[in-house]
Amino acid sequence: MALEDYRAMMKRCSRCSYCKWIPFAHVKSWRFAKGCPSVEYGKFQSFSASGKFAVSLALLEDRISYTDGLLDIVFQCMLDGCCDLSCKVCRYDLEPVEVMRQLRFKLIDDGQFPFQDIPLIDNLRKEDNTMMMPKAERGKWAEGLDVKDLTQENGEVVFHAGCRFSYDEELWRIPRTAVTLLRDAGVDVGILGRDENCCGGRLCDMGYRGEFLKYAENNIDAWTTAGVKTVVTACSDGYHAFKRLYPSEMNFKFEVLHITQFLDRLIREGKIKFTKKVPMTITYHDPCHLGRRGEPHVPWSGEQKKIRGQVLIYEPRKPRYNGATGVYDLPRNLLKSIPGITLVEMERNREYAWCCGAGAGVRERYPEFSSWTAGERIDEAAFTGAEAIVSACPHCERNFTDAIADRSGAMKVYDIVDLVREAL
Amino acid sequence: MALSREVYEALEAIVGPGNITEEPATLHAYAYQWMAELVSDVSGGSKFFDRPEAVLVPGSAEEVQAIVKACNRYKLRFHVYSTGWGPWAAPPAKDQILLDLRRMNHILEIDEQNMFAVVEPYVVAGQLQAEAMKRGLNNHISGAGAGTSVLANACCFQGGGPDCIYFASPQDSILSIEWVMPTGEILRTGSLGSGLGWFCAEGPGPSTQGIIRGALGGSGGWGVVTKIAIRLVHWPGPAVMPIEGTVPSYGSPLPEDLFRAAFPAFPSWQAYADAIYRIYDSEIGYIAHRQFVMWGDELQAAFLKIVTDPTRQLCDLQELLEEPEVQKLAEEMRRNFQLILAGMTPRDLEYQRKVLDQILRETGGWNIAAVDEPDLQRYVLLFMIKLCFKNLNFTATGGFIDTYNSVASPDVWASGEIEAGKALLKKYAGRIADAGDQAMGPVSGQGGGGVTGWEDFLFYDPQDPDSAKAAVEVSDEGDRLKAAQGRPPGGMLLGLARATHADERLRAQKLAKIAEYRWQRKLKEALDPNGVGSGNYFWGAEPAQGKDESSETAELPSV
Repeated sequence: MALEDYRAMMKRCSRCSYCKWIPFAHVKSWRFAKGCPSVEYGKFQSFSASGKFAVSLALLEDRISYTDGLLDIVFQCMLDGCCDLSCKVCRYDLEPVEVMRQLRFKLIDDGQFPFQDIPLIDNLRKEDNTMMMPKAERGKWAEGLDVKDLTQENGEVVFHAGCRFSYDEELWRIPRTAVTLLRDAGVDVGILGRDENCCGGRLCDMGYRGEFLKYAENNIDAWTTAGVKTVVTACSDGYHAFKRLYPSEMNFKFEVLHITQFLDRLIREGKIKFTKKVPMTITYHDPCHLGRRGEPHVPWSGEQKKIRGQVLIYEPRKPRYNGATGVYDLPRNLLKSIPGITLVEMERNREYAWCCGAGAGVRERYPEFSSWTAGERIDEAAFTGAEAIVSACPHCERNFTDAIADRSGAMKVYDIVDLVREAL
Repeated sequence: MALSREVYEALEAIVGPGNITEEPATLHAYAYQWMAELVSDVSGGSKFFDRPEAVLVPGSAEEVQAIVKACNRYKLRFHVYSTGWGPWAAPPAKDQILLDLRRMNHILEIDEQNMFAVVEPYVVAGQLQAEAMKRGLNNHISGAGAGTSVLANACCFQGGGPDCIYFASPQDSILSIEWVMPTGEILRTGSLGSGLGWFCAEGPGPSTQGIIRGALGGSGGWGVVTKIAIRLVHWPGPAVMPIEGTVPSYGSPLPEDLFRAAFPAFPSWQAYADAIYRIYDSEIGYIAHRQFVMWGDELQAAFLKIVTDPTRQLCDLQELLEEPEVQKLAEEMRRNFQLILAGMTPRDLEYQRKVLDQILRETGGWNIAAVDEPDLQRYVLLFMIKLCFKNLNFTATGGFIDTYNSVASPDVWASGEIEAGKALLKKYAGRIADAGDQAMGPVSGQGGGGVTGWEDFLFYDPQDPDSAKAAVEVSDEGDRLKAAQGRPPGGMLLGLARATHADERLRAQKLAKIAEYRWQRKLKEALDPNGVGSGNYFWGAEPAQGKDESSETAELPSV
């Protein structure tokens, strides 16, 4: 598929602005009714999903050409997908996120990218990570851990750390704990360490589809060679890449689990038992790529048809990616099972959660916007009375931590894995 | 024509550099609109109307005032919008700037005791409702739904909706106004004009209700309304409506002793009309609207099955239409409307339910049993109270207009117009969706009752030129049929889209046949001597000397 294939969709947008808000059914206040960070920060209509339908159409119809302003419109957006969800509350025939992805692919293919990408992509091509770090240091996070090296021996489960966890030293405690928990529970788990590749998911959202495909193929080759059956990650970006993107692009036979899903399995099997109280009031932030964008890929091949004259249908039934089957309850249930934890909800949660601001390269390309978006979420978390915001993604956690530091805030940031460790 | 650097810099100095843009991609986003493809003499059949020369996002009435004064100084025309949904939101012609009021988005006050709120233009109905409900209050929501501006619906556009029977029409709910007039002066109307607060529209300060609002509002042609006070009504429900269900099939389990959704249905249109009179007389009902027929009387039952089941899709439509249960429900719903009863106390609800039962007995009607099924009850209550699913109007094909509307006393339902509208749509079925009668409208457009009617929907595919052409043909034929009866045109949405984007001189000549619009021209000239306010406004030219000045409406649709 290419942007051109979505031309009809671009003409069917009603420009109703639902994409700017959380679903109106869920609006509980004036303050937290907005759903799209991009248009709230960018202000102009073009920054909304509806605006991007219009911009895409104008581009295809040669009404506009590339400018720096156009690049900002396209790339100053986390592709968090709240617009997509809100649109699909009523529309069964529009795919806002897919159009925005295709728009990015087109721009990158045409050599149009934000100047901020230059060092990142240069480094990526040399060092295979999005963190501007040397490849040689990728496995450093696991030093001293007694865990299988899957480049040397086979294992049933691979723990994929991902770029952020591999290089963000302050966060190393999380993948180290995760791997230890799995290993101690008797799971045949290993890592690829220095030879682990970027998952490519973030690159794909940034528009670099070619790089994404390269990394996807490399990862699948490495897992196949190591006899892997199950891929576990504590990174929601990685989860989305493996669960949704890889199967949509290539033959994919691996079970994919987010660490919260695996921990839940181990708790239910009695292999992890909590022994300590963690007395804390927390709120849970749904990572976009584990929640509404974390729905599994469902193969489909078919066409759009009309019945009753003009009513648009897909034949055969086309899978709807509207956030309904994202991972929402399981992390909450896991948190609630920890003794002492009181879980309170933010107004915007589950499929209509506000984004952390880190996704799709925005943290690197537009740091002020990224920080503002995170700050909005921190404000919302504080509104609940929680003393900590808990998530299940290193990108969310890094962005929240930095935004709190920028604001001299007191809110604490944890990964679910942190709290599980505390309760053991 | 691009703005001169002098003008651009003057505007930029008012709003700040981040709040003005000439970026071509952004300007196109403001030119893109629903229905543009139908006004093909302007859009060339594309999705784009004329693009603005620049877009500004002012943050205060003072900035708006400074912009308007600059426009007068430089003889620059401005167009303005709040949420910007609809063809009238796009600039009506070239060489205009556009003011997007999205930064003016605050609820300034909710006066619980006196039951009103003061809001800026970009406060949408869903936001105000959420805050009002926390205080036991509620606000009118336009038929266009929760995502539309409270202020614009009250002051600048038609703005009616399903709740008018209890909440009153929006024009009757406006209290004081802060208005940046087309000259840049700020006028504060009603009690606000005398420094006495926001509570009254008509005095002791100046009253401009008839001018600022009238029947349809100024559609952005009267300067910029920057704040209004709007009347609120009682809300007997919880502070936050509970929401259940999986996207998109949400529902609200409201207390059963205070709320009930009913689908009164009737054996004939005469019985339907009689029931409406009785509802007016008995003063029951919180919200009353013939809503779900927007999907067509032949499809509405199947569509209800789809939207209330998250596993369903439009591809299930044909299969559902063949199910006996759905066919039975469709037949039952042929002449029905949705009625939300809200009791201020359980006894009040009980009383209203008994009154409804009596009305149904007296008119031979019935309440459709399916609505008592809990999931449907929860869905309908949520839909009607929050109007949070109104974009379902576009679900079937991606585009709709209304075509054969009627607004009158309840007898209009029994006038044969419903069948005439349905026959018109059937004639074009295939090129437009084949859905049957799509006459959707309020049981009352006024508080307490008095006027009812409908919009006759039509679903077309905006990306299919023949379907779009058919939509225009249906609308035109409908208008001709109405004209032959000496009645006003039926297609409001396309009529407004065409009227607001037609050549101004031509439009003025046509509208000159209507006395009201000639008067509006006189007002426009008095209030906007430099003609900088948007041309998106209905005003008529001076008639040629010696011509009859009596009101005439038949040629309006040819504008």
